[in-house]
Amino acid sequence: MQEWVEGGRVSRRVVLRALGLLGVSAAAAPFLAGGPGTASGQGNLGSLQPEEPVDATLKRLFGGRPIKDGSSVIKMDLPLIAENGAVVPITVEVQSPMTPTNYVKSIYIISDRNRRPMNARFSLTPEMGAAAIGANLRLNETGDVRAIAELNDGTLLMAKREVKVTVGGCGG
Amino acid sequence: MAEIGKVRIRIPSNIKRGDVVRVRSLVIHPMEIVQRRDGKPVDKNYLFIHKVMVEYNGREILQADTTQSISENPFFSFTFKPTEPGMLRITFLDTHGGKYEGTAEIKFT
Repeated sequence: MQEWVEGGRVSRRVVLRALGLLGVSAAAAPFLAGGPGTASGQGNLGSLQPEEPVDATLKRLFGGRPIKDGSSVIKMDLPLIAENGAVVPITVEVQSPMTPTNYVKSIYIISDRNRRPMNARFSLTPEMGAAAIGANLRLNETGDVRAIAELNDGTLLMAKREVKVTVGGCGG
Repeated sequence: MAEIGKVRIRIPSNIKRGDVVRVRSLVIHPMEIVQRRDGKPVDKNYLFIHKVMVEYNGREILQADTTQSISENPFFSFTFKPTEPGMLRITFLDTHGGKYEGTAEIKFT
């Protein structure tokens, strides 16, 4: 303690060192926490997603929040057999009134067997009138494709379907 | 890839007030996939679309964050419910700073 405080005054070196430590810990925090709400989980997907098993993706995106079975409200339309994994059309429709008080906030598309399972996240608004979106996916190999809908009250609903892929279409 | 960034938007020809309109859009884009050397992914700034924004008369109605697991020349469809005539604008952003826009005019019959 004596070397830190000189004559009742904190030395400059100590202050700088403390600041440096703070900076380091602040930068490392998002990676250590890894929960929902962090920049890596919920932010812009401009950078490549990490290579990880699908369980890790779900944990990173939703933390420990329970995911309910939504197969009765989520209608997924995609081929049973995809001859070309590079272009697999998918449409996801969630039965919801889409009013400002009751709507689907986001739809996540996750393919289990891709090296980077996170495929796309759609952020919806009540003005869409219906919660229906479509896209073309790249699938690496045969496996489940999940659609997870997040309602505006935070409920998570999931539906999944297996797709057989003859030729993989995803190098990543 | 001279056509890169070309946006096409398809809307139904007959739209009535209060209809839920299904819009289909397509953009010409390579959506680069991860290259591998000796089984390890090559670290570089891959060129792919990471954001899609849909606006109607300046109000945002849909946003999509996409990854390179979306196919080349990405296709997106969505619904929306116009309450007044106006301009639908779809903007695509890619990881190299590219910005591609397409518009479609919505008129009621």
